[in-house]
Amino acid sequence: MDTLHDPSSDGRETRRPADPKTGKSLPPLGQPGYYPGFSTLNQQKFWDAATRERVLRRVNDVPPIRFFNPEEARLMKMLAAHIVPQDDRQPSRRIPIVPRIDERLHQGRIPGYRFSTMPPDGNAYRLGFEAIEKMAKQSYGRPFQELSWRAQDELLKSIHDAEPKEGAEEIWKQMPVHRYWALLVQDCVEAYYAHPWAWDEIGFGGPAYPRAYIRLEHGEPEPWEVKERRYEWMAPADSVSDPKGPDVAAHSEHPAHGQGGTH
Amino acid sequence: MLPFSQRNGILEQKPRERDNPVAHFWRKTLLPAVAEDEAHIRQGRFQRSMALLAGASSILAGLEVSYEHYRGSYGQKVMWTPVILSGAMTVAGIFGFFSKWAARTLLRWTSAVTLLDSLAGFYFHVRGIARKPGGWRLPVANIIMGPPIFAPLLFGVSAYLGLIASFLRPEEAPKFGLFRGLLRILSARNSGRKPSPWTVELPSGRFQKHLAAATVLSAFFSGFEALYSHYKNNFRYKAQWSPVIIAPALMTAATMSIKSPKAARAWLPAMSILAILDGGVGFFYHARGVLRRPGGLKKPIYNIVYGPPIFAPLLFAACGVLGLLTCLMRRER
Amino acid sequence: MQTIEFPMRRYSESEEIDYLIVGVGSAGGVLLQRLARAGFKVVGIEAGPFWDTERDWVSDEVGSHQLYWEDLRITGGKNPLTLGANNCGKGVGGGSVHWAAFTPRFHPSDFEVYTRDGVGADWPISYWELKPYYELLELEMPVAGPPWYPWGDPHSYAFGPHPMGGVGNTLVRGCTNLGIGVSVGGPVAILSGSRGKRPHCIYRGYCIQGCKVGAKASTLITHVPDALAKGAEIRDRSMVSHIYHDRKTNRVTGVSYLDQDGTEHFQKAKAIIVSGYAIETPRLLLNSACDGHENGLANSSDTVGRYLMAQAGNVILGRFDEPVRMYKAPPAHALTEEFYETDPNRDFARGFAIQTVGPLPIAFATQMMAARGCWGWGLRRIMMDYNHWSAFGLLGEILPWPGNRVTLAEETDQFGLRVAHVNFDLYDNDKKLIEFGKEKVEQVMRAAGATEIVQEARYAHLVGAARMGKDPATSVVDGFGRTHDIANLFVCDGSILPTQGSANPGLTIQALAARTADYLISQGTKIFNSDKRDMTSPPVRRELSPPGTHGTGVPRLR
Repeated sequence: MDTLHDPSSDGRETRRPADPKTGKSLPPLGQPGYYPGFSTLNQQKFWDAATRERVLRRVNDVPPIRFFNPEEARLMKMLAAHIVPQDDRQPSRRIPIVPRIDERLHQGRIPGYRFSTMPPDGNAYRLGFEAIEKMAKQSYGRPFQELSWRAQDELLKSIHDAEPKEGAEEIWKQMPVHRYWALLVQDCVEAYYAHPWAWDEIGFGGPAYPRAYIRLEHGEPEPWEVKERRYEWMAPADSVSDPKGPDVAAHSEHPAHGQGGTH
Repeated sequence: MLPFSQRNGILEQKPRERDNPVAHFWRKTLLPAVAEDEAHIRQGRFQRSMALLAGASSILAGLEVSYEHYRGSYGQKVMWTPVILSGAMTVAGIFGFFSKWAARTLLRWTSAVTLLDSLAGFYFHVRGIARKPGGWRLPVANIIMGPPIFAPLLFGVSAYLGLIASFLRPEEAPKFGLFRGLLRILSARNSGRKPSPWTVELPSGRFQKHLAAATVLSAFFSGFEALYSHYKNNFRYKAQWSPVIIAPALMTAATMSIKSPKAARAWLPAMSILAILDGGVGFFYHARGVLRRPGGLKKPIYNIVYGPPIFAPLLFAACGVLGLLTCLMRRER
Repeated sequence: MQTIEFPMRRYSESEEIDYLIVGVGSAGGVLLQRLARAGFKVVGIEAGPFWDTERDWVSDEVGSHQLYWEDLRITGGKNPLTLGANNCGKGVGGGSVHWAAFTPRFHPSDFEVYTRDGVGADWPISYWELKPYYELLELEMPVAGPPWYPWGDPHSYAFGPHPMGGVGNTLVRGCTNLGIGVSVGGPVAILSGSRGKRPHCIYRGYCIQGCKVGAKASTLITHVPDALAKGAEIRDRSMVSHIYHDRKTNRVTGVSYLDQDGTEHFQKAKAIIVSGYAIETPRLLLNSACDGHENGLANSSDTVGRYLMAQAGNVILGRFDEPVRMYKAPPAHALTEEFYETDPNRDFARGFAIQTVGPLPIAFATQMMAARGCWGWGLRRIMMDYNHWSAFGLLGEILPWPGNRVTLAEETDQFGLRVAHVNFDLYDNDKKLIEFGKEKVEQVMRAAGATEIVQEARYAHLVGAARMGKDPATSVVDGFGRTHDIANLFVCDGSILPTQGSANPGLTIQALAARTADYLISQGTKIFNSDKRDMTSPPVRRELSPPGTHGTGVPRLR
């Protein structure tokens, strides 16, 4: 499915979430999450034609890479694997992220605005790649791709924290680090959670026209939805993106507005 | 709290067993009254109570339809008709209780119009479901979220009761024997034929099969409504299964009663009483459900409109009452 | 849902039409319908497409981006606004296609903020002048709401309230536990009962992705069909680039626009109404600068583009042990205006409302990224809990400040037109209000039983930037939307609002449009050939409502 996926990284035990009781890695799943057996795609005959066509195209047609060059695409793929890791998914059930971002940049689609402090999105991506490589060289003496998973995660976390590791100060002067991070995560999130497999994972009902819902209250599942069945899991040991503890408060200095219009 | 007499230091003497007013009331008043009522019903002399029953069930149906249609915002003008007619039915029922004349004119015509309105309502509800996105291709979702399909027909049962009442004899013997005389003329005219026309059967209380069929229908309408609205609520409470189970049982008993007088004596009363009790319990749970909703009594209108329908269980109980009435009837010849 | 079964009237470009409306959105749709019904020759020019809702719209978050104005704009300042999906529509129906359809009225106090609190500005009209139009539009959309709405000028609704989903129940429980009044099931411009052939809501939660059902009101389905039936023309996918002005007469003469092939056209008109909303309206006026109006058309006061307002729209998210499934039911279904008015016990002027919001997965993920700094496995984990979260929106009044403004950026768009630059800063009163409001919303969320609460700072709606007022030195248009500088140039949309209250502006924008239409109709041809300003209020023309407006619904108590 994901043509850019690097097979050599598949199935590495340490990259997969683990059972907190035994400490053992959980096996890769066709569908992670607490709604086993739930499939929005199975409900497609209850969707309207326009929606069905759009969603099926998303599942079946992965666009080719046109904006990124192969080097950039490889790096972007690694970044996406950190921002929305999918090692708990079976390789055939991973959701393509980079082709979606590439498609947007290729078509020049923007969300309707650009921050005055930011370069155009395509340039921002390229500046970001440059910054990441510079930081990797400066802090670890190696290109980003050759770093350990944990080192990569830590480097990205420094961007997330808006306290980037040394090496790219010049670039961060041209492009605020927190805005760059928001751009990156926003794009990855939009690619992942637009996919019906992700809806199955989180128990979201998906398209709802002409058939909508009959059970509005108490979080009751529809007849065709599935009741939640929770299980405990912990993030892989060499990952730093799932901090424990209640306080993961955002950097209040640089509130990153969500782009979604909710009211 | 102490009884008044003890507070005053005087111990009140307990009445002796044989003077027990409850027992006295039971023996001397209630039993004969019940026997008399039963006789009245068996003879078709219960126009007054039937008129009242039709009026009372119209109040329930009217309350339900007024807030159900408020949910639909009275977006179509025709939605006002059952609200107005339920009021008219109530008034006609009360008049019918006091006056034989009113029962035979006002109640009869109001009931007939209401019956027609309920059929029209059924058509509009079916059309409403068809007009929802997906229409009848999504029957489950659209029956549940669309206009309640059988609710108009359930209201129609009240109208039907009113119509029956208008053809019955009142509880007392008619003063000048006019009614009886009229009947004699009617029956004389038709003496050679079998079976006798309903105009004779009905006033003489011979319409058990007829009422049994009405019981089957109303139990179906009410039970179906319980089924889909409890399904809508995912049967969160075990008790929500009870009307769904009792309704078919009542329907079966009433169906059997059409064929067998034995079933009418044994099964139908048992199932009818069960339905009445279940309706009572359901009313309690629905009322409690309304109170337990977010905001509870602070949002009374909202929670009555969108909480469990509090009158629906009483309408289910009314099916039981209809079944009980059926048991008491004489059978058609 | 949307079908137009009759041919649209076409005017030739050489024909001088009566009214040309730039932008067929919330205000433009209402104006077009009223003026056409009154017999004027009227053309609406819309940058976006004329939707065939069944073919063009999808029940999908990503697939709905076409509904939003996603052309380039530059956003800056200390507290930059996000635009696009957040607040800007494109296509016939405009913002009313993707609004959540909360339709509270403004309060009487909103019209005299300066007099009461010494901040902001007064409106040139009072609440009572607008009230008949609120009542009218509430029937035309129609608005579903509770039988009694206690805040502002108390009133009732002709269409009954909607059932609650999980988020609504959370807000009702939180508010009632704290003894805060709460309006349940509305006011929202979504059908709670079918009307004519428009079906009622099916509670699918995709309001801001465009209502395929046709239950949510948008001018696309409420007013545009009647406008076309009465002889109005809409030219879609046509971007107005310039308004032409005759220096000798000091009147506008027509506009040029680019069709979807990029071909330029010119349309003559006797009068022009700009209804492009709070960014495109000032952008067009500024881009139309000419001799005699070097700073932009109708900008002698240097107010065009200034006093832009957005409302504080912080989203407060709470996690519950029991599932909520907030994607069901419309995002807009309950609110409280208990904190709307200025309270002398607080250290800031004006107030805020608390409303339900129901973000779908991508919006929720973005909010969690901003609110909780989620990424990587932490993001995957929080998203697996999506069904346990509920979300409330703060809707706080931010005051009009001259520095919050739309100007022209150096960059140009696909047509070669200079794009808008939007500058936005928060000031002391705004910050205090947001801080207080945020805490209040968190209290309500806690009282509802949330075990974990996070919040994301954001903004909602856009108004101002061509405000109305009595004084030509400090405002762009008069109380009827006529520019002070040019007698046959009008502005009618959200940009004429002098202050914004903490009510969603959609209903007010449409009510103002209906009032302006009544004014224009009562003026007859005077607008076209006289420079005299008659400021008498026009009679309310109920007979101009689209067919089917009157006679359905519940009698209103008030």
